[in-house]
Amino acid sequence: MTHALSLKAASQRWASGGLALKLAVLLALGVLVAAPLLRIFLETLGPDAIAAWTDVTASRLSRNLLWLPLANTMILGFGVAAGCVLIGGYLAWLVVMTDIPFRRTIGLMATLPFMIPSFATALAWGSLFRNSRVGGQVGFLEGLGLAVPDWLAWGIVPTLIVLIAHYYSLAFTVIAAALATVNSDLVEAAQIAGAKRGRILMGIILPVALPAIVAGASLTFAGAVSNFAAPALLGLPVRMQTLATRLFGLIEVGQTARGYVIAILLIAVSALFLWFGNKVISGRRSYATITGKGGRAKRFELAGARLPLFAVALAICVLTTIVPVLILIASSMAPSSSALFSNWTLHYWFGASDPAIAQGQAGVWHNPFILSATSLTVGLGVTVAVTGTALGLIVAFVLARHGRGPLAGAINQLSFLPLLVPGIAFGAAYIALFGAPIGPLPALYGTFPLLVIAGTAYLLPFAVQTGRAVIQQVSGDLDESARLTGAGFFRRMGAITVPLAIRGLAAGALIVFVKIMRDLSLVVLLFTPTTPLLAVLAYRYASEGFTQFANAITVVILVISIAATLLANRLQAKSQPWLKS
Amino acid sequence: MNKTRLAISVAAMMAAAGGAMAQDADMGAFLDAMTPEELLPLAQEEGTVTVYAFTSRIAAVETAFEAAYPGIDMIGYDMSSTEQITRIKAEAAAGINNVDVIYISDAPVVYTELLGAGLLTAYVPPRVADALDDAEKAPLLSQRLSTKVLMYNEEAYPDGAPVSNLWELTTEDWTGRVIMVDPLQRGDYLDLMTEFVLRAEEMASAYEAQFGSPIALDDGIENAGEQFIVDLFENDVILVSSTDDVNAAIGAVGQENPPIGFTSYSDRRDNEDEGWALQVANDVVPSNGIIFPAVLAVSATTQHPAAARLAIDFLMGDDSDTGGPGYAPFYVPGDYATRGDIVDHPDAVPLAEFSAWSVDPVATSSIRQAVGDLVLELQ
Repeated sequence: MTHALSLKAASQRWASGGLALKLAVLLALGVLVAAPLLRIFLETLGPDAIAAWTDVTASRLSRNLLWLPLANTMILGFGVAAGCVLIGGYLAWLVVMTDIPFRRTIGLMATLPFMIPSFATALAWGSLFRNSRVGGQVGFLEGLGLAVPDWLAWGIVPTLIVLIAHYYSLAFTVIAAALATVNSDLVEAAQIAGAKRGRILMGIILPVALPAIVAGASLTFAGAVSNFAAPALLGLPVRMQTLATRLFGLIEVGQTARGYVIAILLIAVSALFLWFGNKVISGRRSYATITGKGGRAKRFELAGARLPLFAVALAICVLTTIVPVLILIASSMAPSSSALFSNWTLHYWFGASDPAIAQGQAGVWHNPFILSATSLTVGLGVTVAVTGTALGLIVAFVLARHGRGPLAGAINQLSFLPLLVPGIAFGAAYIALFGAPIGPLPALYGTFPLLVIAGTAYLLPFAVQTGRAVIQQVSGDLDESARLTGAGFFRRMGAITVPLAIRGLAAGALIVFVKIMRDLSLVVLLFTPTTPLLAVLAYRYASEGFTQFANAITVVILVISIAATLLANRLQAKSQPWLKS
Repeated sequence: MNKTRLAISVAAMMAAAGGAMAQDADMGAFLDAMTPEELLPLAQEEGTVTVYAFTSRIAAVETAFEAAYPGIDMIGYDMSSTEQITRIKAEAAAGINNVDVIYISDAPVVYTELLGAGLLTAYVPPRVADALDDAEKAPLLSQRLSTKVLMYNEEAYPDGAPVSNLWELTTEDWTGRVIMVDPLQRGDYLDLMTEFVLRAEEMASAYEAQFGSPIALDDGIENAGEQFIVDLFENDVILVSSTDDVNAAIGAVGQENPPIGFTSYSDRRDNEDEGWALQVANDVVPSNGIIFPAVLAVSATTQHPAAARLAIDFLMGDDSDTGGPGYAPFYVPGDYATRGDIVDHPDAVPLAEFSAWSVDPVATSSIRQAVGDLVLELQ
């Protein structure tokens, strides 16, 4: 009797604890995710701002404000998705299914481009292909005497190439993971039955990989439409605008209402396609769990095509990883990008202010802004990694242990909403919400906490993903037993879940860290002189024409990001199952 | 002497009492009347002064200022005027007091949206007041006149400017070879576009002088100034994001067929350091561009009121003919000091012979948005 009573009391306490926890999580997500988005929408409905809807969508301005940028955005979205699926799929097929030499190396290299910030690749492109359209310093190729046509130096083509080079590793990761689950018995059976390779590809492999291909396409689509850096750096000289660059330009010149309208439309476009991609996949959720327990299928023998195909794969990997990094390093030391490998100087790194060079800008080592920006950026990365991972873990816990009911549904939806919102639109929403004091709370514009909050919210979907994986690893029984002994939520987290899953958590936190380190689109609007961040400084230097400084800062970002990525890969040894032989 | 010292210690006490006191109007008036010698100890007490400046030359000013007044850390941020305006408004809305001194062009917007909204305080250093015209003291202090004018490459065109009428820029000879900063990104350039519209009659007669027939306007275009902007964009004008890009494009030596474009006359000062051959095209009908004031003001919410005033005093130059170290970065051909006692730079076209239009901030601000929308439509 006593026993039963105390159990009942415990479960009541438990239920109410669950409810309190859910409400707390929902409140946090409401402030972090829903409030900024609602606010930006309400801003455009004010009496002074409502006209912005007409200006943007149905006036003589709408062609340039909306339709052309929208068309460019869509071209980039579809082009990048197609290119990424082709290249990522090709590499995934080679690495997972064939006897290509150096599989592991290619598999590793194919995941690296995503760690290189897209503005770094764009800057590297400029150092190579910049032509004389905007005069001044030309790129390396023109320096060699080759004429680079405008379409290759500026605008949609280079933007497409740079974005594909950046995002294909996303498609590679998703598709490779799916291919690794192809039931080898089926393939073998087909081979024995005498099916040709093409038939096997179309009949077995493609159906299994299709959801992953769609997922890869919609993820890279969303990435491309919301990318800010590449079109900003490569598009302006030919007046190419995307929704993201248009949004930035409008906010920067103080036309906020029009900017917010563009932000809402950009969110709509991005969300629509991600939703559509999700719709195609859903109902086929079993794709990842087809369990081919038979031995690994005999790899496709490429025979004579082995070396040519390897050469293509190697070229892709080298061109998208090593080459941009080398160009960046070289051009951070070369006084002129037309002669990347001559007259190297460390002035841009360590030089004191010299009025004869770059308007007297001191080398990055001596620039107090850059030093403070480095510590601020790393500090932001660490803080967001901690806050994001903690919040992600709590959200994942709530969903895993109390996953039923409308509250849990709302938490689930809200925690994935940021995935649909392009970073630059998110930044705009945060300014709208926190740009002025709210009641007794001070305004957060220009403060470190705002960056932390925005970063945490922006990366929440990734953190929740990590949290889910971790929670699934830790048996619910352990948690249950601890709960019955009366341990509170935080106690159980701290004493059981976190210690058991520390490796996975740390790896997830490092990924969040890297994403913040190299992110430009989220912070480009939140930047103020009191909160300098490396990526924004690099972008500003680049747009002021101080290329070497921009490249030097980018190299710093790269070094930190790659180190953190490699560390994460080590911690997360299971992250690339297809590399296991 | 004793009186001065008393005044200083009283002011120091008031400054020490903190920001709220510092914003006190009496306090402002009190500091406004001080000499730089009187401001110095108060400014040293305050320790730092933050400047938003629309020119990269603020870095040189910073070095000179810290050498002249040890113990006061000047923090200079180089930001375009457009960006400053957005930031100052956003910071005011957020209640942030980050900036002390604003050094900015874009007077049409500054007067209405910043000064009019009470975000700026005017300050004229008493030391230089007598050397300035009234128009250069109000509504805000003008430090110098800056320009956005037509510049060309004098190495490629040793016999003088290749253009003598603005309308030539809309002809086939200059297709894809006229360069400027995107007027939607930089207010100076939007002011330049606006000036074409304000001077529509002059533009119309220049058209006739160039082509021999009166101008015919496109549908929906109201005057010759707007038509010029339309034609310029249709002739593939190249837009970049900073004046340095424009300068390098026009000025870089060793070009066979360099573009022409609108930039700051004063950037000619960097010809030697940067390997440029920039030269101004002055004999241009109806004008070669605009000349406009660069103004200095104290932030209404400054936390360093004495140091802010000392910095502005310093930026106005010392009592030598050329303005000394504080003005040195601006004593270059193409910048025109507002102070009557600073002599003209010997290498520049004298102001009286300079053909640029002088911007009228009030008229400009009245049609600026409409011109901006026109540019947006053309892009």
